[in-house]
Amino acid sequence: MNNHPNLATFETTQTPAPRWRRRPAWTLAPLAWMALAGGALVHCKNEPPAPGGSSAQATGSAASVSAASPAAKGAAKHKGTPEDPFVVGMSQCNLGEPWRVQMNDDVRKAAEKHPNLKIVFKDAQNDSLVQRGQLEEFVNQGVDAILISPKEAAPLTEPVAKAFRTGIPVIVLDRALLKEDYTTFIGADNVKIGREAGKWVAETLGGKGTVVELKGLMTSVPGQDRHRGFIEGLDTKAHPGIKVVFEADMQWLEPNARKEMESALATQPKIDVVYAHNDPGAHGAYLAAKQVGREKSMKFVGIDALPHEGVQYVKDGILSVTFQYPTGGAEAVATTLKALAGENVPKKIVLPTRVFTRDNVAAGGQEIP
Amino acid sequence: MKPVALSHVLKSPIARAVLALAGMLILGSVFHADGAFFRWTTHRDMLRQLSVYGILGCGMTLVIVTGGIDLAVSSVLAACAVGFSLLTIHQEMNPWLAIALVLLGGAGMGAVSGTLVGRFKIQPFVVTLAAMVLLRGLAKHLSGGQKISTYIAASDRSVPLPDIFERIDARILGDNLAIVTVIFGVCVAASAFLLRRTRFGRYLYATGGNLEAARLSGVPVVRTLVLAYAISGFFAAVAGICQAAQEQQGDPETGMGYELSAIAIVVIGGTNLAGGRGGMGLTFVGALTIGYLQKILSINAVGESSRLMLTGAIIVCAVFLQRQS
Repeated sequence: MNNHPNLATFETTQTPAPRWRRRPAWTLAPLAWMALAGGALVHCKNEPPAPGGSSAQATGSAASVSAASPAAKGAAKHKGTPEDPFVVGMSQCNLGEPWRVQMNDDVRKAAEKHPNLKIVFKDAQNDSLVQRGQLEEFVNQGVDAILISPKEAAPLTEPVAKAFRTGIPVIVLDRALLKEDYTTFIGADNVKIGREAGKWVAETLGGKGTVVELKGLMTSVPGQDRHRGFIEGLDTKAHPGIKVVFEADMQWLEPNARKEMESALATQPKIDVVYAHNDPGAHGAYLAAKQVGREKSMKFVGIDALPHEGVQYVKDGILSVTFQYPTGGAEAVATTLKALAGENVPKKIVLPTRVFTRDNVAAGGQEIP
Repeated sequence: MKPVALSHVLKSPIARAVLALAGMLILGSVFHADGAFFRWTTHRDMLRQLSVYGILGCGMTLVIVTGGIDLAVSSVLAACAVGFSLLTIHQEMNPWLAIALVLLGGAGMGAVSGTLVGRFKIQPFVVTLAAMVLLRGLAKHLSGGQKISTYIAASDRSVPLPDIFERIDARILGDNLAIVTVIFGVCVAASAFLLRRTRFGRYLYATGGNLEAARLSGVPVVRTLVLAYAISGFFAAVAGICQAAQEQQGDPETGMGYELSAIAIVVIGGTNLAGGRGGMGLTFVGALTIGYLQKILSINAVGESSRLMLTGAIIVCAVFLQRQS
């Protein structure tokens, strides 16, 4: 837009001005921005490392780590004291899902108990290439250990292996990689959790009844695993009286779950159990059933058991049961400390699930080995 | 002479939109899922489900008539859903005051986009794309990345759900009409009135038809554009409150991709993306078409892959039909 009205008036009144001055003032805004951003970065380098927090802090704290890294290389022996803490980089694949926010929280809480540990959090915003870049940044900054919850296996296997080969302990959380070039994998077993849910439904129904399954995104591995495990646990061959009468993909989203449940209610006169692949899905289904006054005649089963979501729904009497998909945040910190101390750590840690029912929710659920 | 008569009828965009809807109803009657399609409750639920998209579509129509586009509606929706939940559940503010504040906030967010488009002549696509990202960030910032529900993590306690949530999500007329659907109807009527019966409506068409000509003939184009985007933001805030009420929480991730559904509704209705032509009645029929399509796929428990392909194909067909003028 060269023929902006402001431009014309400016030129007629101030012709001798240098070329760059002939633009309206607001076009200089990007320059001001760059100056500000540059100032902020310089400022950050002089500051003591801020405790890692949200994704917004990622660039700021990245700068502070690079400032600290020469010291880390020079005096490796004195590392791991409250004055000179271990710096651990944590790359989370996205912070859109509450479960992942919870994982970061769990890591943060566990790390707070160890003043000799400082975690730098980064959010890869659901982009494998961004996550690869973050791994490279961590290596360049000379962090002491890396925690990563990868978005996908294939694009991240090699970057993780590369970081691991530089001698930095790498702990992989939640989603597995294709090769074992890392220190430890910590994760839960979605097939097993689905199977436990299936068994619970089969037992509760006593071998006879109708089930609605609201699936997570079926192109995602957790969705596929939670479905496969559920069908195994339900074992319709052993219980021919149990039928899955309606299934739909709700893509992990509560509004979608509610819509699909309304269709199930419209086509199915009798529903005994609704199994949703996550707690928001089960909650959406409950709201749909409640609106037509049928919520009392059916049971709702969810997965994930976040304290403020699934567990709360069980406490509120909305869900009959939810199965925890643990984040492994605390285990990750414990394993990192062990690895940094040079102790042997297992290659794979499979986290046990917990079941929360109305009877045991007050006592903190019950572990299923 | 029948084919001629048919092609004559098809010249009108309204006839084509209605024809698309009729096709959808026939499709539903064929694949009726054990009679579920013939039950009133299915249609009632469908009307409730499309309401949020439809409300977004109302604002989107006004903006598209000016030749613009508003990609930020889904983020305004999320920010307003979070803001509404924070004010009513956590701050225990008077719900009507909270609604007023949130609606004002939504209109304000739209007005900023409108100012950048009208006053500073930046392309609507760019402005609202930036606003979409920025406001999604705002929604996450306000909520701390968590859903705002009756459980308050900071103090580890639960508060009761304010009445307003269930009131908005309730039904009236003997359980036959969802309040959300009524709100959608009011939004359709209001924007139809704006477009057809006011000077502002004529300004919208003039601006979309030919901006320079409109400016030269005395249309206050800047003010018109600011107002169009502000109204779009206002409707997105209405949709945000409806969404929060239906979910009983403010989810900062909610409404992702709704802006595309809203655009699809407007385009299927036959409103021209280049601006200057179109109307609310068409958007309403477009909303029904999309709503019925989704309902039919849902009651027949069609798999996700087929659903996406069918929806895409039908949008292309509908738009293709609309282009034959």
